[in-house]
Amino acid sequence: MSSASPALQQQVTLIELVDRVLNKGVTLTGDITLSVAGVDLVYVGLRLLLASVSTLERLDGERA
Amino acid sequence: MASSRTGSSVWSVPPASTDAWYVYGVVPKGTSPDVFANAGAEIELVETGELTAVASRVPLEEYGAEALEANVKHPEWLEEKVNAHNAVLAAGVGVTTVLPFRFGAIYRDEEQVRGMLTKRPELRDALARLDGAVELGVKALLDPEVLRARLAHDRGLDAEVGSGRAYMLWKQLERELDEEVRSFAGSCADESHERLAAAADDARVNPAQHPSVAGGEMLLNGAYLVRSDRDAAFRDVLRELQARYGDDGVTYELTGPWPPYNFVGDEEQA
Repeated sequence: MSSASPALQQQVTLIELVDRVLNKGVTLTGDITLSVAGVDLVYVGLRLLLASVSTLERLDGERA
Repeated sequence: MASSRTGSSVWSVPPASTDAWYVYGVVPKGTSPDVFANAGAEIELVETGELTAVASRVPLEEYGAEALEANVKHPEWLEEKVNAHNAVLAAGVGVTTVLPFRFGAIYRDEEQVRGMLTKRPELRDALARLDGAVELGVKALLDPEVLRARLAHDRGLDAEVGSGRAYMLWKQLERELDEEVRSFAGSCADESHERLAAAADDARVNPAQHPSVAGGEMLLNGAYLVRSDRDAAFRDVLRELQARYGDDGVTYELTGPWPPYNFVGDEEQA
């Protein structure tokens, strides 16, 4: 949204990026690949990452 | 092997025996290393037959199986690497055809990378299919309050809403407006996607993001494969949609051009 705060815009961009780089693209089995557990860990990292960009509560406050 | 040494390295480069090869994606043979000179990573191009792998040497201590599983738990590490992965591929967008790999395709040595290219003829087919195309992302976000105010206004209800109306009447109006908002959301999403898809070479609809993350109610989360000769027409359609639905509280967001992440992976899956 054109009126989005820089923090929100940054978060939106990050989500777009993460959604593509981690969820899409050619998947080949390399010599080293993440195990199923490893893929789950990516999402643990991701949730922490999104929370760290800026808290959603604060964003809601800014937009009000 | 062609290599580019002009870019600054974002990772340390220990002795070769402790390196692995991280593959970002594949481009056509003959792609110049200059394309990736400012991509933020030290790039090695591994060319075999019709295909060129875009790769970096990475330390095993960071990308070995155990290390990798530990590292992806760290948000700062993950953010840096996800950004770096896309930055490398983005350097080729609009310059050559880029076949993006998912994060984390790692090979023991250059020979294993060559082997992967040789064993995967479908990668060549995918490059041909994607020739000259980029991915554009379009999200349509609805501000339901704007739409409700407009719908109420159309009924001449501005002054009465929430004031002296009887409770039951007020609840009934609420239900009717909810219904109209839902109906609008569905038809606006369908029409938007149909028109954008018609202007593109291929299209995908992804699940809507949660409102708290998306910054509104997401009606459409689409990805569109667009060749350069259709780019202007595609953007025209987007402008027309914005003009038509803007007053109803809909905002369209365009992202990209991206490497065509959403248009690979179906037939190329291992």
